[in-house]
Amino acid sequence: MDFKSFRKKSPWILHYNTGSCNGCDIEILACLSPKYDVERFGALNRGNPKQSDILLVTGPVTKRAKERLLRLYFEMPEPKVVVAVGACACSGGVFRHMYNVENGVDKVIPVDVYVPGCAARPEAIIDGLIKALEILKSKGKDIELPRWCKADVKPPVNRAKLLNSCLEEFHGCRRG
Amino acid sequence: MSYWTAFILTLFSPVIGGFIYGLERIVRARMQGRVGPPLLQPFYDFFKLMDKRSIIIHSFHAFMGIMYLFGTWFALFVLLSGGDLLIAIFFHVLSLAFLVVGGFSVRSPYSVIGAMRELLHMVAYEPLYVLSAAALYLVTGTFQVSGILHSDHIPLVYLPLLFTAVLFSLPAILKKSPFDTAEAHQEIIGGPEIEYSGKFYEAIYTAKWIEYVYAFFFIFLFAGGNHILGALLTVLAFFFFNLLDNVTARVNFRQMVAFHWYILIPLAVTNLMLIALWRS
Repeated sequence: MDFKSFRKKSPWILHYNTGSCNGCDIEILACLSPKYDVERFGALNRGNPKQSDILLVTGPVTKRAKERLLRLYFEMPEPKVVVAVGACACSGGVFRHMYNVENGVDKVIPVDVYVPGCAARPEAIIDGLIKALEILKSKGKDIELPRWCKADVKPPVNRAKLLNSCLEEFHGCRRG
Repeated sequence: MSYWTAFILTLFSPVIGGFIYGLERIVRARMQGRVGPPLLQPFYDFFKLMDKRSIIIHSFHAFMGIMYLFGTWFALFVLLSGGDLLIAIFFHVLSLAFLVVGGFSVRSPYSVIGAMRELLHMVAYEPLYVLSAAALYLVTGTFQVSGILHSDHIPLVYLPLLFTAVLFSLPAILKKSPFDTAEAHQEIIGGPEIEYSGKFYEAIYTAKWIEYVYAFFFIFLFAGGNHILGALLTVLAFFFFNLLDNVTARVNFRQMVAFHWYILIPLAVTNLMLIALWRS
């Protein structure tokens, strides 16, 4: 039986704020409210990386949030898609080139859909979700790594070790 | 009901529970002025989870999740096959114990807190179910579900206070607001179920549907031999508990246990005493 068609019908969302001004977060919550109601498409805001399919990231990714974002990304089981919501998450927005930010989510983890806007309108977020669902449907179950991470992925994958080797690369040294 | 019909009904109980859950999501959305997901949404979720990669913390944890499913399933089988009410309650407690042990076996603090709260849930509502089993025995003269379902008495007429108490503790057994401390989704993100993913979360998800059938079958029993009244009571309880879910906020665990032990259980015991006095 082919279960791929069901991926589109029940997207569970994990929402993470990487130092956003809360504007986009409020718009994401507005999507769940009676006016826009994304639960029509079966979307739920789970808040749990282990049971989610779509990672909605807002904010320019501050230095502190980077490691958490990476951890959340690694804790999500495949297939998964990442949606960067808002100008900050797409490119850094007004925070671009500041000393404390990473200039967008795609500098840390692979991003599938970019939703522009400051703050992104709920309609745009819903459009982005629908786009993300199309990508989710065609995605395989291979583990995707960030571009800068050179760890090798061999079939019996120990996700904790994978995360650690990526974090080592990130910090430039072994910690703890 | 013969064993085979009961067996087949139990086998399909996740389907029934899934429909109840789908309906609940629609009813809840309509009460909030939303459109809500399609009726088959729980099944879409089910098939999607089948396709997800499963991340296992350790095999014992995953095993406990599956045992939770089979425990509730067996408890429901005992009820549907007309078995002993007390045995069904016992198996239901056992299945929850599996979930609690699984919750304690991982290092996630949310999981451990959730498991502790799950135990408090059991402390709160299980006495009520045991008391209602005793009360049903007093009225119908048997602990056997088949006997209760063919009894001439309607237990609801004798047990209005106890029925009210069970109605108010429905959110506790199904973990809905106001008594959803164990899997407070905005607070500890599912409690003991937080570390399950993929197929193993699917087991937990299905077990929750089965618990719907289990809880509503208990309501059904309060109508005794009058099955139409039973169906009516079940529908009434369904809407009542959705309304309660929507209009109340989460209480903390102390308030939950206090409400059960100071209000609902005395109510149930009063009802039992009045019946005993009236009979003698």
